[in-house]
Amino acid sequence: MKQLLFCLFTISQLSIMAQTTISGKVTDDKGIPISGANVYLDGTYDGTATTENGEFLFTTKERGQQTLIVSFISYETFSKTTFVENFKNINIKLRDDVNTLDAVIVNAGSFKAGENEKVTALKPLDIVTTAGAMGDFIGALQTLPGTSNVAEDGRLFVRGGDAEETQIFVDGMRVFTPYSPTANNIPTRGRLSPFLFKGITFSTGGYSAEYGQALSSVLLLSSIDNPEEDKTNIALMTVGLGIGNTQKWKKNSLSVNASYINLQPYQELFPDNNIWHKSIQSLGGEIVYRHKVNTDGLLKLYGAFSTVNFDVTQEDINTPEGFRFGLRNRNLYFNASYKDYLPNNWSVQTGVSFANDYSDIVIRTDNVKDTENSAHLKLKFSKYFNSRFKLNFGSEYFITNFNEDYSASENKDYNFTFNNNILASFVETNIFFSKKLAANIGLRTEYSNLLKEFSVSPRASIAYKSGNNSQISLAYGTFYQNPKNEYLKFNTDFSAENTSHLIANYQYVKNKQIFRAEAYYKDYNDLVKYNTEQPLPTTIFSNNGSGFAKGIDFFWRDNKAFKNIEYWVSYSYLDTKRDYKNYPIKATPSFASQHNTSVVIKHWIDKLKSQIGLSYNYASGRNYTDPNKSGFLNSKAKNYNALNANWAYLISQQKIIYFSVSNVLGTQNVNGYQFRNQPNTNGVFESRTIKPAADRFFFVGFFWTISDNKKDNQLDNL
Amino acid sequence: MKKILLLLTLVFAASVSAQTDYEKGMTKAFELWKNQKNTEAIQLFERIATAEKDNWLPPFYAATVQIISAFREKDETVLTAKLNKAKEYLDTANAISKNNPEIMITYALLNTAYIAFDGQKYGMTLSGKNVAIYNKALAIAPNNPRVVLSKAEWDMGGAKFFGQPIEPFCKDVKKAIELFKEEKQTTKFYPYNGLERAEKILENCETKSSQN
Repeated sequence: MKQLLFCLFTISQLSIMAQTTISGKVTDDKGIPISGANVYLDGTYDGTATTENGEFLFTTKERGQQTLIVSFISYETFSKTTFVENFKNINIKLRDDVNTLDAVIVNAGSFKAGENEKVTALKPLDIVTTAGAMGDFIGALQTLPGTSNVAEDGRLFVRGGDAEETQIFVDGMRVFTPYSPTANNIPTRGRLSPFLFKGITFSTGGYSAEYGQALSSVLLLSSIDNPEEDKTNIALMTVGLGIGNTQKWKKNSLSVNASYINLQPYQELFPDNNIWHKSIQSLGGEIVYRHKVNTDGLLKLYGAFSTVNFDVTQEDINTPEGFRFGLRNRNLYFNASYKDYLPNNWSVQTGVSFANDYSDIVIRTDNVKDTENSAHLKLKFSKYFNSRFKLNFGSEYFITNFNEDYSASENKDYNFTFNNNILASFVETNIFFSKKLAANIGLRTEYSNLLKEFSVSPRASIAYKSGNNSQISLAYGTFYQNPKNEYLKFNTDFSAENTSHLIANYQYVKNKQIFRAEAYYKDYNDLVKYNTEQPLPTTIFSNNGSGFAKGIDFFWRDNKAFKNIEYWVSYSYLDTKRDYKNYPIKATPSFASQHNTSVVIKHWIDKLKSQIGLSYNYASGRNYTDPNKSGFLNSKAKNYNALNANWAYLISQQKIIYFSVSNVLGTQNVNGYQFRNQPNTNGVFESRTIKPAADRFFFVGFFWTISDNKKDNQLDNL
Repeated sequence: MKKILLLLTLVFAASVSAQTDYEKGMTKAFELWKNQKNTEAIQLFERIATAEKDNWLPPFYAATVQIISAFREKDETVLTAKLNKAKEYLDTANAISKNNPEIMITYALLNTAYIAFDGQKYGMTLSGKNVAIYNKALAIAPNNPRVVLSKAEWDMGGAKFFGQPIEPFCKDVKKAIELFKEEKQTTKFYPYNGLERAEKILENCETKSSQN
């Protein structure tokens, strides 16, 4: 018995005597001591915090192999496993955590909106509460620098590129016909409803190798992964009705939206300068189904259907009775995407999108029936090696089948058809050299079946943090895009149009204030040229066109200086010339304006339970050709000015009244001029001014949300 | 017999001393927290968490202290760094104890810290998430006073934001107080706290109602 006790005593003594001292010093990668870092042996109570000199010292009774852990906020956690005796006077360097807000961001060319972004130029609510945007997310993006205001068109014109040089993607899958069709001189709207998206990246140049077939810009939308609750939305508007419902159960959710727009009552009340035989009517529906396959895997199915109908006679100087244009359009879009995490830090993303677009157009007495079937298939893998090195690669296939039946009044029928299929592959790495220096380097290859042509596009961007709040970035890339459908239907002996982007960006971000300046140079080559006024079956086409665009964009956003006020200011300077289409010389195209400015202000008034918004847009005059003078694109129209206002009033948490007026001051803007084909007896070409259909547009809506969450409302849908 | 007794004593002593490490550690950490030494408290909770891999309380407290300290933060970089760390701790706690209402409402508190910092930026998505969390927590533990109280606080915050009366939620606070008083405190270091806060909120409620 005594022996046993003695034994036990000795063992306990031994264990006390066998204390090991653990000591060392913790610094950052520049050797500067880190004080207050947490140092301990994993799975034990033994540990301490480092002193002001970064030193630590503690004892442990543990023996054998142990793991020493050093952790400190905004640094990567250090761990080392070895025999406990070896943890003596060791020097530990903690590496910066590159996932913090103050780490450098590779962002040349792009603007992001979404709460998960490090720097947000636009917030989710901005997409829909910007005055003048009228709930169209494209409208909100037009307040960012790099875009040109083309009031009669409504699409995105980016940095001297025309609207077809911008492509839109939802969850990585292309949207083939993103805009509703419309008549001449009436701006279009995006077909996608803004509240389906949780994040938007708008790249005005130098974008990732993952995206192609866009010479100027890509707009990347990511849809909501998982709605939070069941709800019903009802909208009563001066221009139509809308209803939406979301249901959630276990691993699934389903959202259904339907809208009916009819502009007839509005147009009767406020007639515009067109003669409407049939006012614009559109009927649209969307369904989103989401299914969680396992803890990480998510399947999303999105389907949208819309029809648009109208018939209008518009003023035309060459036809005294006016120009009649009627359209019936039907559009079906389907998008399925799946993403999941795989073992060993791999992840996979795959998807398919499909669009069927059918238009039946009456132009005077001619009838055109266009059918476009397009599909996009994509498979992408990503490997996350560590927080400093990531690799993405994948392949995609685009299919477009276009068919046009043209019946001219003289009983002549024509048929034009083509298949435009493209196979593309891409690889890209994201590397953080340190918290201050990072780069994305990628390569994209494309093969076009139609053009029998292979292209290689390198892409690279690099960013360096030059100060605590500032950084500079550079980007370079080459971009290819097949010619437009309106050319391909007559001729397929083309090369892809292409451009290169060189971008330099400076950004300063401090406490809810953002300043950025970005200079760019774009060099266009192999642009399509033709020798007739409009592309025709008999036209001779070539790829001999070229051009350039250069400029500088400024952006300032401040959410801090004034209480309850947020505002931003954008200014863009653009210098561009091109020789393309049927241009006789290099000239600045009619969609480009040299100076563009937007100011957006939002003010929340507690007492009135209201948000008041104002926006002001300015664009310097755009070119047109005056046949009474010599030369081509030889004159400038007057400057464009518009002040827009909106007011959202919360009747209760779930009921909102929304008023909006575009161009409050009724400024007489000019969209361009139309000249007679023949001069009059004095040898002068008479002209008429092309004005917007109406100077002002009023909108009143009542929005009601029914859900368990009494705070939910449609402020974010407006 | 003696041998057995001795053996038992030894075993008991050993187990007592093992528990003491935990108790000592937790007691010390709470003391640090009380004395506003937040960083030290968080670090000690973190160390205890690695030693007590099956106990959700240490990482839960590491997260709680981190989140509460983030509420006063003015710098978004520091805010997100703190809240990311807090989320790591909470994820650890959540992996040990799934569907735990105390952990769920702390996730909601974390979201609230973001919303309080910038409602325009974070409010749209996170407030929906919070409502979902509170509804789920209430379904799991309808008689947990902290769940009832934090949901009432959340609802009051929303009512205030939209300029609506907070009185309808006073009865929820009253109910929480009753539940606090009924609650049997059996687990050491369990986050039973909240009664004082509830009483303060109710006082505020009643003065407001009597003014009207």
